[in-house]
This record gives sequence, structure tokens and C-alpha cells, in this order.
Amino acid sequence: MANDKPILDPKLKLTRRCLLKSSAFLGGSALLSSMLGRSQALAEAGSLSAQDRYELADIRNQIQTVCMQCNTGCGIKAKIIDGVLAKIEGNPYSPWTKSPHLPYATPLADIATIDGAICPKGQAGLQHAYDPYRIVKVLKRAGRRGEGKWVSIDFHKAIKEIVKGGKLFKNVPGEESREVTGLKDLYAVKDPGVAKDLAAAAKKVVKKEMTPAEFRHKFSDHLDSLIDPDKPDLGPKNNQFAFVWGRLKAGRGELIRRFTSDAFGSVNAHGHTTVCQGSLYFTGKAMSEQYQYDEKDKKVKWTGGQKFFWEVDDLNAEFVLYAGVSPMEGNYLSYRAPRIMDGVASGRLKFAVVDPRFSSLASKAWKWLPNKPGTEGAFALGITRWIMDNKRYDAKALANANKAAAAADKESTWTNACWLIKLDKEGHPGEFLRASEIGTAKETRKAKDGTEYEFDRLVVMQGGKPAAFDPYDEKNAVEGDLIVDGEVNGIKVKSSLKLLQESAGEKTVAEWAEVAGVSAADLEEVAREFTSHGKKAVADIHRGVSQHTNGYYNCHAMFTLNLLVGNFDWKGGLIKASTYDIMGEKAKGPFDLKKFHPLKANPFGVDIIRANSKYEDSSLFTGYPAKRPWFPLASDIYQEIVPSLGDAYPYPVKAMILYMGTPVYSLPAGHTNAKIMADVEKLPLLVTSDITIGETSVYADYIFPDLTYLERWEFHGSHPTIAQKVQPVRQPAIAPLVETIKLKGQEMPICLESMILALALELDLAGFGMDGFKDGMSFYHPDEYYLRMVANLAFGEKEDGSAAVPDASGEEMRIFLDARRHLPKSVFDARRWEKIVGEKLWPKVVYVLNRGGRFQDMEKSYDGDMVANKYASLANMYCEKTGATKNSMTGKKFHGIASYVPPALDCLGKPLPDDGFPLQLITYRSAYHTKSRTVSNYWLLDLQDENGFLLNPDDASRFGFKDGDRAKVVSASNPEGVWDLGLAGKKPMIGRVIVTEGIRPGVTGFSLGWGHWAYGANDVEVDGRTIKGDPRRGKGVHANAAIRVDPHLGNVCLSDLIGASAVFYDTRVRLEKV
Amino acid sequence: MTTKKEDEGGASPASASPGPAAEMSRGDILKSMSAGVLALAGLAALAPGRAFAADAGAQGLVDRMRQDLARALKKPAGSRRWAMAIDLKKCIGCRACTVACVSENKTPPGMHYRPVYEEAGGSYPAPKRKYTPRPCMHCEKPACLEACPEKAIKRRDDGIVYVDYDLCKGAQACVSACPYDVPLYDEGKLHTDNTPAVQPYEKAATFEMGVKRSRSAGAAPVNRARKCTYCFHRLDAGMLPACTTTCVGHATFFGDLNDSESLIVELSKSGRVQRLKESAGTKPTTFYLV
Repeated sequence: MANDKPILDPKLKLTRRCLLKSSAFLGGSALLSSMLGRSQALAEAGSLSAQDRYELADIRNQIQTVCMQCNTGCGIKAKIIDGVLAKIEGNPYSPWTKSPHLPYATPLADIATIDGAICPKGQAGLQHAYDPYRIVKVLKRAGRRGEGKWVSIDFHKAIKEIVKGGKLFKNVPGEESREVTGLKDLYAVKDPGVAKDLAAAAKKVVKKEMTPAEFRHKFSDHLDSLIDPDKPDLGPKNNQFAFVWGRLKAGRGELIRRFTSDAFGSVNAHGHTTVCQGSLYFTGKAMSEQYQYDEKDKKVKWTGGQKFFWEVDDLNAEFVLYAGVSPMEGNYLSYRAPRIMDGVASGRLKFAVVDPRFSSLASKAWKWLPNKPGTEGAFALGITRWIMDNKRYDAKALANANKAAAAADKESTWTNACWLIKLDKEGHPGEFLRASEIGTAKETRKAKDGTEYEFDRLVVMQGGKPAAFDPYDEKNAVEGDLIVDGEVNGIKVKSSLKLLQESAGEKTVAEWAEVAGVSAADLEEVAREFTSHGKKAVADIHRGVSQHTNGYYNCHAMFTLNLLVGNFDWKGGLIKASTYDIMGEKAKGPFDLKKFHPLKANPFGVDIIRANSKYEDSSLFTGYPAKRPWFPLASDIYQEIVPSLGDAYPYPVKAMILYMGTPVYSLPAGHTNAKIMADVEKLPLLVTSDITIGETSVYADYIFPDLTYLERWEFHGSHPTIAQKVQPVRQPAIAPLVETIKLKGQEMPICLESMILALALELDLAGFGMDGFKDGMSFYHPDEYYLRMVANLAFGEKEDGSAAVPDASGEEMRIFLDARRHLPKSVFDARRWEKIVGEKLWPKVVYVLNRGGRFQDMEKSYDGDMVANKYASLANMYCEKTGATKNSMTGKKFHGIASYVPPALDCLGKPLPDDGFPLQLITYRSAYHTKSRTVSNYWLLDLQDENGFLLNPDDASRFGFKDGDRAKVVSASNPEGVWDLGLAGKKPMIGRVIVTEGIRPGVTGFSLGWGHWAYGANDVEVDGRTIKGDPRRGKGVHANAAIRVDPHLGNVCLSDLIGASAVFYDTRVRLEKV
Repeated sequence: MTTKKEDEGGASPASASPGPAAEMSRGDILKSMSAGVLALAGLAALAPGRAFAADAGAQGLVDRMRQDLARALKKPAGSRRWAMAIDLKKCIGCRACTVACVSENKTPPGMHYRPVYEEAGGSYPAPKRKYTPRPCMHCEKPACLEACPEKAIKRRDDGIVYVDYDLCKGAQACVSACPYDVPLYDEGKLHTDNTPAVQPYEKAATFEMGVKRSRSAGAAPVNRARKCTYCFHRLDAGMLPACTTTCVGHATFFGDLNDSESLIVELSKSGRVQRLKESAGTKPTTFYLV
């Protein structure tokens, strides 16, 4: 409490300096006239042009970087005057903000007066950095968790405490004798060789090839290092440390994994995918699995599925069925809105919108189809039924069984529509028929790694006769009969398309329409339109389809529509994202960063969220249901992290670092996380990396201040709707507003990177510090990692360097240096930077940084009628791997073909008993808020006072509401309608009722981003001083705590057990007058 | 068709301090508009057709406007006639323009030079929604200019109407005179007043009307009437207005009406032109495409 320095006054020094500068300018003080610079001098000389006078148009005041107000990653141009970021516009080199974007070779000086377009959040982004509630020093908890009392603590002292542990909170009532386990005690297995042996033996124990006694005997020296020596497949104690993140992009992502997995040896490095659109990603993964040799397992299997998804090429499509997607209010606004609106204006594009809410997109649509939330799969199967009945599918494309057949039709992709699937006795589909089962011998092949393996071909029917084929055969084109229901060698078989026909045939078009809550006439009209534009018709989907308990099936049914019209890789069709390599893997240099590691750990064991793991293959298997669900087909299951450690299943976690994540605010039923995090017994050590004291950091033991996206490095990657190959580079645009520290003599801001580096050095982890990359190449400063990634990007993906960017010209080099004159040496030091990448690559690095990344030119992104950056592979209609996987709660197998399963089921597959709650709750985004991090943007708060609950006039009169009334939302799992925040009190979920014709009757919705109770909305005590919260930040309602808790598990929201989506839209609620 | 202003997402006109003597609120104007503009635009939006040939994907509407601008700037200032067109079929109501303008001109809380109005009509399952951005109309006969006791409001030869901060004494006669409720009075508030620290962006330099200024108590633009200038400081530097530049729906157009080759002239002949509240007799330059 003796610290007199203000903590929450961010960037005190800078602010003061800026104010001085500004006031000096206005007062015309002689003292600072020398700082006015060139423009003032010229003005006095009477020779100032308009462009010179408008200093924001001076290229030397501009830095191209990347937005992160949401996850879109628009290229931005940061315009800086006197060291202060004064304005943000779009980077015209980026395809995100200008259509068409400037050719990459455009000289930098030419863009001084050319700005791209960005959305309101992007415009307001400087308020994310210049937030009066940002923290600038490390804070340590001084009260009980959630009590809101903090002290500032020296960065190095905090690092030592976290590593060493001990009675760290002895001054806190109730924790006088609590001994915290430090990271050094969790860093148990240090030898990668030992880890490898333990992992191999653990596998044998599970398979009962080794007894637990034998294991104990063999590894008697290492039993203390294991979480449970009787269950060695849980892994080493290292796994009791978890690193968890919310929004994370490349660069920082590589660093976190380098620390957590490669160095510390924990399997618990988990992201947030499932809170966004998990089931969409994992549908993409299932559909992109390939039947090929797996280097790890040394055999042919379904493998290599990419965690990704496809989207429409908005720029060229003619008809789009947008389902559960809101590109004019949610993410992608800056570049999808102009493409869609230009398409509508020119008559090129027609579209329908499936969404229970009349979104901005729906207001521009040919047809708005307000469906019942969660029935998107039924809608898709209704269209499928119509397409099958009317034979409006692309039979030519679907008949292609392999690559050669596809190529003959000038298709780059093919499906397994005609492949044969075996049926079991009950007629249920199982695995694809293999050629060896019809008497065709397996082939022996040799893998790249030298291993000999057997390749068992697959089978199609050709005019009723079976034929074996290799899906990747480039010479022998094989086509197959589409609708097959027969027998081969006494084995009952059906083709994938036949299974789809049957699945869609379970109901008539009218019946499907009824399930979806739309008219059959509308559904048929959409189906007809969808099949009237060749390859330029697309079903484009997002969260509204995936965030249900049946999310995976909904997504699969929707994507199957795209298979039926064969639009993959076509211009105006369904496309994927393409990014340039930053790790130097493809060119094997100039910095092959994955290999720049002296001694990689071998993490092993099941992780705390049971990702990519089969319950049946673990020592915890005790029959069905499992204690908590397992997710054999998904990863990064955000909603399971905290509840799992709350249940200590599969094992307790002792320490967790949370980066840029706020599960309490952003997860459905996030209040369940708050309760667990408040309990020091369940989570003994919680460290967060945050820019404010947010809704989740409230429960932290230590908060490390971080840099905002305007002060740091990252490689933002791309989205499927961007046809170009790209890699946007986020780089420091303003001086860090946090405190600077010294690490082994090097200055750097307190941030995620310095926290990780300091922890690694304190723990003496390989891969960091002296010789951290390799002999003679140390790792002490984040720039040493990130600048080499930029160098890799600049060098390109060809070993001979022929794909390198040009050198920056002398003029561009001068502009580069000038534009960074406001950055301190701890951040930007041209000599230091040049030394890191080397003299030769330096001008190329500058070329890339001047442009804010690397972007393929528009003309190179299309290849005739197709996109240049192709998926070019098999896309599965029948997903054998999914169909062969068991639900860990019921023991039943999942469906491999697009199927409709009703939404709103608990983890045991039972419907929810939610009678008495007449409305279904959905969430949505306005164009001016991102979920959890825009409440500091006063320009945005100034657009709209508060959000509220949308209600159809019919429902309003049914429940006695009128527009403007206030209502509390209650649900079966939150009958009180409050956020129960423990010591932080209770916050009722009360909002304004907004009566609108733009919502389906029976549905209510609220927009995200409002109703904060932390993040500057509340009072906090730091070093004995009270920092008053700002009531503007607490306005509106955040109703996530009303979202359904799974009744069986009790401490988590509902989940899709295949694609792992955290379920937002399957809750019944009641609005009560207040 | 029923019409009402939808609160959700609306830039609240109440926050834009219309002034005590305002005879006609923005709401009234909406009503008068809705009979004409909304009915037309609302129906048209549901039947997409070929409005004009340009599909920006290939040609780049913004690039074309930049070329138009460069051509106009080569002419003598007096022979240009700036105008703005807003395509209501394309406006998606995102408010990128509103915030870009706030950022460009560092306007205080509650002051938007370019609010976006939102109107709802129709009924479920066929509701309608219309967004109308509302910048200054830059009238040929500006009511604000006539009302100003200090002659602080001026109209340039190129048609731009602006407030001369050196002459404005804050009488606010313009605020009540404008039929579009455009001029607003700057009381000197800051967005980060009553927070732990006023933030540096609040006082970052602005270049409105070509003058570099930084907000401070009493000095312009504080205690002055303020309004949209078509960003003429940007025009002079060869750049489109901030709102036009950042319009992500490609719904805002700007150019020289005296240039027959310009996109703005092409649009002005489209047959979709409508001006706001022409009965006020102020002859607005800003026009809408409905």
C-alpha cells in the first residue's frame, strides 16, 4: 500500500508528454516550437501545400498494420501525429479494405492519400489502446478472489513467486497457510527421453500389454513425476500446468506453444475455438479427412483433416443461401458488405437469409427465412430432398470417384458420393467397402519415410459391377453409379449418395419445412434458385448453424448442399483461406523456426478437455456415460476447460495462465466458470495476461498487463472469403503504454512475451535464453522471434529465393524509419532489427512491413473460372471417421452422413425439461460491438445507449410488454435471472424490451458486448486507492448467464459432442417484468 | 405501412442536442420522408435490379471517384460543384461513416456530423428496414447561413457550406434554423471526462477547414456551432471525405457535378434521385438514391 504511483493511469508519462505537446501547440509556446516540425516551418514560409498541411496525409505519419477489434483482421493504416495515434483507416494494400486492393508493387509513397474502408469498430480502435482503465503494472491479488483488491508488484518479483510458489497470499483472510504450488514443482519431467519412454509404456498399460506393477517397477525413479502412477496415461505432473487463450493469432500462438508444449512439456495448451464456431471447424475437419498414409501411425487411415471451413466467394457468386451468418454486423463487415452490396446493385447477386432475426443482411435479401433456431439441418435436408427428387444435383461431378475422373471434368475436387459403404445387420452404415473384401489384393507401397505399407483400395459400382479404385489416382479415371443399394460378395452396400437420399427422404419437403418453421413454398423456391446458377450458388454458414447441440450435423447438412452442386474451388463458389508460411517450413529457411529448438519436450497424456481422445482408449474408461464428455473429433473445447478442472476430471490442475480470454463473460453460462475460478482449492494459481481488470481477470492471482493490437506483433492469417493468398502482419504502431522492464539487459514492455520469456528463464527451460534457438543464437527479446517470421514471409516459399519480395527502395527505407520515429528503442531499433534478420533480408523485411504484410494481387487470385488457391482434394459426403466414433456419454456411434437430429439435448441426449419458458434465446452482434472488448470505445457507446431484448409484437402483447419496458430474463438453470459473482455480488440480467417485427415469434435475442460489471465498469481498489468505475460501461444487458447449464453435468453450458460447439442458441427463457 | 424509428442501433437524435427552439425534430422529418422515400426504397430493396452498371468488384467505385476527384482538383476552384450521393439501397446501417467522421474531426460526446437514421416498417414475416445517413445537405440557400447573426456561416463557390470558427460566437441560431438539424453546438465535453485520465486522442490534432487545431477549453471549435464540411481539408489534399472513403457498403458517392464524366453526374441522372425535404426550399446539394 506504500506505492504512491498511480497504477491505473495508463501511460502516465506519455499522456503527460502528449498533453504538453498539444497545449504547447495551441498556446504557441516558444518552448516547443522546435517540435512542430516540417509542416509548421513550411507554413510560415508560405509554401505549404494542402497535402502538407493535412499531416494525416503524410506517408511519414502512417504505419500499415492489422486491426483486431474483432477477428476479421482488416489491414489498417495507423495515422500518427506527435506520437499519438490520431486516426485509423484501411490499408489499401489489403484485400480486406479496398476492392480491388492495390497491386503489391505499388510504391509506398503513392498510398499516402489512398485509404481503404473499415467498419466502425475499426475506426474506434485507438480507444482500445487509449483506455483510461488499462493497467500498466503487474497486479497481485490483495483480497479474496473476486473481491477487487489489488496491489502492484514488481514484474520480476511476480515471476519469482509464480515459479517458486509458497504462501503467496498469507495476507489474505482464509489463505494464511495456503501453500501454492509453483511452476517449478510442476515442471516434473525435464528429460524428453524419459517422457518418450513413459509415454510408450503408458500406452502399453492402457492396452494391458504391461501391468501397472511392471510399469511401477520399470519407472520407479519417475513415479513422483506422474499425476497418478497407476494411470500413467494421464501423463506427467507437467500437465497440471495449463496455458489457455481466447483470441490468439500466429506469432503469439507459436510462442505460447513453444513455451507450454515444447519447453514445459504440458499437453494443456488450449484455445477458444468452440465458443466461436467449433462445430463449423470440426465439420470442415471431418469433410477434409483423407484416406492416406499416416506418418505417425505408419498405416493408411482417415487422417490429415484440416481444422478449417469454407465460405462463399462473395465477389463472384450469383446466388447465396446465407444461413446463421451476419457479415454486415458481425465479423467480415469491411470486405464482405461491399462485395455483397455491389453484387446486389449490379444485379449479379441474389441471396436468401436463414436467420430467426431480421439482420441487416436480411433487410437486403431476396428472401428472409426466419427459421426455428437449431433447425438449420432440417432446412438443408428439405432442400436436399427437393434436389434428389428433382435430380437437380451435379451428377457429372458426383460420379467422379477419384482425382483423375475429377480432372477429366476440369474439377479440382471430388466427393465420395459414389463410394460403397458396408451395412451392418440392422442396415446401419459403417465403413467403406475395401477392395480386399471383394477379392482384390492390397497393394504394397513405400512411404516417403521409407516405410512399406499396404494400400487397400475402395470400391464403386459401375453399371452394377464392383470396381476398385484409388481416390488419388491421377491417371485412371474412375466413375461410379450414384444411387446404389445392393450386395457385393454377400456384403450389403449402399453408396454415400443413396444414404443421403434416405436421410433426406425421412421427411417430405413440406415436413422438413415444418420442422424448420418455414413455408414449403419458400423452401422449394430457394432450392430451385440454388440449383439454377451452376457453380455460382453457395450455402454459406456460420455460428447460427453451428452453436447448437446438433451443430455438427447442421453444418454437415448445409455443406452437403455445396457438394450436390459441386461448387468447391470455383470462382463464385465455395472457397478456402490461403496464407503464406511464416515459420520457414516450406522454403526450409531462411529461418526454419520449428527446428530452432535445442531440446524439445515430449508432452504426453490425456489433456484436461479430452480433446482428440477416445474415452474407450483411456484408463478412465468405466462404461457409459463417462464422468464428463470426451471429444475424439474436436479440440480447443473452451467451455470444458474450467468446469473440468473444477471436477478434477481427468485430473486436478494446479496452475493456469489465461491469455486474452474471458470465459466468464464470453461463454454461454459463463457464471459457472466464475464460481470455480473463485475457489482457490479448485484452481490454486491463476495468472492472466490482460489489458484491463476484465470479468475473468477479476479472479486472477496475478494480472500481467499486455500490449494492445496497436502496440504489438502478430500474423493475422486469413478467412475463407478472401480468395487471395495473404499474410497480414500486425506490428507496433504506437509506443507501448505499459511499463518497460529489463530482461537480461534488454529493455521491453511488460506484455505476454516478456512474461513468457521471464518465466522460461526463471525455470531454465530449453528453447529460451542463451542459445535458445540454437548454438550462438539466443532468445531474449520477442523481436528475435517475430522479425525472423517476417523475414521468412519476405523470403517466400521457394528454397532458391525466387519467391522473395523486392528490396525496399532507398525512399521506402527512409519512409520506414521516419514513420517509426516515435517508437522507443525497446520496441523499434533499426540496427537491432537489421542484425536479427541479417543485412541481406533487411530491405525485404522493410518492404513487407511497409505494406502491413504480404498480399497476392487480385489478378493472380483467379485461374480462369476457378480460384487460384484451391482446396483441390477429396471432400467427404460420408465421413467414415465420424461414423465409426462413439459418443462417450451414450456409447452410440455418430452418423457419417448428413442427418437431422433435434437441437437442445443435454449431454446424455435427452430433451431439456424447460416447460414454462416460452421463448428461445439467441444472441447476435451489432456492427458496433465485438463480444467482450469494445466497451472502452466511447465513440461506439455514443452510437447506442444500451442493448435490450428483441421481442415480436405478438409476443409482446402475449406477455404484456411494450417497447421500452424493462425485463429480467430467467431460465430453468438460472431462475433468479442474475449473474452470481460470489464476492463481487449479484448482477441481475435486466434489459430494455425492444418490440420489433424483425424477430420470429417465440424467439428473443440480445446483442453482445454490453452489460459489463468489470473492464472499467466497477470500482476497484489498487494499492489502497479506489479507482472509480465508469457507469457507461455497465449499461445494457449481458444475458449469457441465462443460457442453459447442462443438467447432467451442472457446471457447464450445453455442448455439441461431435463438433464441440459451446451452445448459445438452445435455451428456453422467460422475460419477467421489473 | 406502419413506420417507427427503431431504437435498437439507432443513432439517437436526442443525443445530438437539437436545440430548444427547433420547430421540427429529426423525427418529424423522418415521418415526412417515410411517406415518400421509405415506401419507394423499402419496396425496391426487396426486388434487386440493375441500378447502375458498376459492380465494384471489377471496376472499383472508389477508384473511379478518386480519379474524378483528381480531375476536379485540376480545375479552377470556382468551376467545381461538389456533391454527395447516398444510395439507400446499399446503405447497411453500420455507422462506419459516423465514427470515421467523429475520428476525423474529433467531435465531442453526442455530436455526430453524420448520424444514420433507422426506420422500420412492414410486419412480420415481411418487415422492412431503411438506413438513412444524414450529413449536411450543403444547401444552395442554406437556412443556417441566413440565420447567423455573425455571418459566420459561409458558402464557397464550390457549394460547400461551413462555419467560420473565428467568427462564430456560439449564438446557435443556425442550430434552430436548419430544417435538417445539422449544426450542433460544441460544449467542450470530452469522451474520457470523468475517467481516471483524459486520453491523448481527445486532443490529437484535427485539420478541419485546413487549420491544425487541438481541443482546449474555450478555443475553437469549443463553444462554436459545428457541422459537416464535406471534409474539404481532405478534398484539398486530394482525398475523398472520411465518410465516403470508409463506406463499407459502397453506398456513399462524392464528386464534381460540373464534370459530365464523373460518377456523381451519372448517378444524378439515374432516375432514382430524391432530395430530403425539398419543401423547405433550401435546395440541398446532398442527394439520395432510392
